[in-house]
Amino acid sequence: MDMSSALMRDWARRLLAVEAASQSATGAHVHEAVRVCEKLQISLTRFAGSDGFTSLLRRALALACSDVPSLQIVKLKPDGSLEGCEVLAVSVTNGGPEAAVAITAHLLGLLETFIGAPLTLKLVREAWSDAPLDEQHSRNRG
Amino acid sequence: MSTEGKDQGKDQGKDRVPIRQLPTGVPGLDEILGGGLPEYSFNIIAGAPGSGKTTLAHQIIFANATPERPALYFTVLGEPPIKMLRYQQQFTFFDDAKMDGAIRFINLSQIVLDKDLGAVLDAIIKEVEASKAGIVVVDTFRTVARKALNTVGEMELQGFVQSLAIHLASWQATTFLIGEYVDGEVRDNPVFTVADGLFWLQQNIARNSIVRKMQVIKLRGQESVPGLHTFRITDAGLQTFPRTFGLTDNKSEHVKGRRRLSTGIPKLDAIMGGGIPEGDSLLVAGPSGAGKTVLGIQFIAEGLHQTGGPGPGGTEPGIVAMFEELPNEFMQRAASFGYDLKKNLKDGSLKLIYLRPLDLSVDETVHEIVNAVKEIGCKRLVIDSLVGFEMALAPDFRTDFRESLYRMIGALTRLGVTIVSTVEVEENFTSMGLSNFTISFLADDILRLRYASINGQLRKLMMVVKMRRSKHSIDMCAYEVTSKGLAIGEPMRGYRALTSGIPGPWLVQSAGVPPLHPEAEGEPNE
Repeated sequence: MDMSSALMRDWARRLLAVEAASQSATGAHVHEAVRVCEKLQISLTRFAGSDGFTSLLRRALALACSDVPSLQIVKLKPDGSLEGCEVLAVSVTNGGPEAAVAITAHLLGLLETFIGAPLTLKLVREAWSDAPLDEQHSRNRG
Repeated sequence: MSTEGKDQGKDQGKDRVPIRQLPTGVPGLDEILGGGLPEYSFNIIAGAPGSGKTTLAHQIIFANATPERPALYFTVLGEPPIKMLRYQQQFTFFDDAKMDGAIRFINLSQIVLDKDLGAVLDAIIKEVEASKAGIVVVDTFRTVARKALNTVGEMELQGFVQSLAIHLASWQATTFLIGEYVDGEVRDNPVFTVADGLFWLQQNIARNSIVRKMQVIKLRGQESVPGLHTFRITDAGLQTFPRTFGLTDNKSEHVKGRRRLSTGIPKLDAIMGGGIPEGDSLLVAGPSGAGKTVLGIQFIAEGLHQTGGPGPGGTEPGIVAMFEELPNEFMQRAASFGYDLKKNLKDGSLKLIYLRPLDLSVDETVHEIVNAVKEIGCKRLVIDSLVGFEMALAPDFRTDFRESLYRMIGALTRLGVTIVSTVEVEENFTSMGLSNFTISFLADDILRLRYASINGQLRKLMMVVKMRRSKHSIDMCAYEVTSKGLAIGEPMRGYRALTSGIPGPWLVQSAGVPPLHPEAEGEPNE
């Protein structure tokens, strides 16, 4: 796996952690990966349109399936939301948390591929203004 | 206008609302627009796909957007925004920092597909009001218009455009609608009627060359430069080459011919009545091998030996724009005549402009020369040669060659630059042409070099054909190209038909025609 993918995996883990913490605080029952995708959907749809977002998420899901085959039961609904996310909630041994990281990292990775890490970070910042991502990004840039 | 009328005009001018002009971020375009983009104007950027519309809009937003007055870039079913950003960030004007809020991309595709014009208008207005946008771009507006014409009618479309223009102006936004339009669509188009500014970009293919041109078809509130202006797209974005060559602000007080410039060849100076009048354009026409370039070298070198000029060490800075040989070849050639110009190249008193052949636009070439003239304070310019210059141009520009050259020479000589242009003429022995390009009207002065067959030898002859506002010798002098440059001999006497190139001995004085005084001078040409 190349360095940029490692960076996106790191971002994905951090975003999932932020959402997990937020979920604990609010007592919500939606998986953090779903919440990450929903938040990205808002800023990405505004920028790229709903078609733009769903096509990227569809591709991210396909790539994530290659890494974590158990994700094959997850489907993308026409409105851009994920269906069958129960698989994300299963234990580590069944690929649960790794699956969440894979989807998120590939979605971010696609953005990085197309528009570069700096602009991807700016888009992510629209949804998570205080997520701890910059330090890692700067380190990789430097 | 009477004095009273002028004063009235001045007083009225005091009361006029000032229109602030925004920079376009495109080199040369502010000059074409008459200073910049009128603030709060409602503009259309039109042209065929690939003509540079989106890049132009991006340059404008990057030049103007701030976090306080951001630019909103609405995308509508055109180039996908992700790909647009992917490509546009390759340009050097793309500034990452501005993507932090100064520039915002908003996708309107779904609203356009699913809803009516009213919803599109509402969406744009809502975003503009919320962001206090200073610049608004809709790319492409053509999609919106097409949808509107398919579902409602022209009146509704015009109403929509009118409402959009009113709202955006009220919110103090300068607006650009981008659209793919072809030439015939400009007439009776409701969108164009409402627009304050209409910028038309073209991309034409002429034989194997691509030629890009821009026209400001209309611009309310200020005087733009009319006509088609060449532009190029590089990694820095668009660069335009105004037909005015960046010289619209120059108010030169130069008076032509106030002094004479030595050519570096004393006898030639004498023939020309003391040298080339400063600010004149001298055309040196002659066949291949006649020494035209050598004369140019001597003219430049003479300026670099001066001590009272504005250049380093009192030199008169010079430029050689060459189209036929490379700079190092020029330097070698100059050295072979005893002129070591390396120091001058180093200290900036000499600049060699080698313009790579093929696909050049004449205005682009002229811009390069004009910029160099401004940069070094050039007093002497050699263009070697006009034939090479024309050959280096894209075919589409060759028709504009004489007109552009005329404008350039006029602009530069008004600044006090003295120009020596060489032109090769095909030698024949039935007539004496001045130039195959009928460009002699560009010259204040014309020096003709030619071959003549005399006593079994091919001799070189030189004659001043024309000097505007100045007396000159009417002698035809023999000359040679020596290791030190042109060596001019005595006037050729005792021959008839020297201009034919096949002279004969002057045998009989025509009856009743008095002989010309041997020291007669040519009258100034007007």
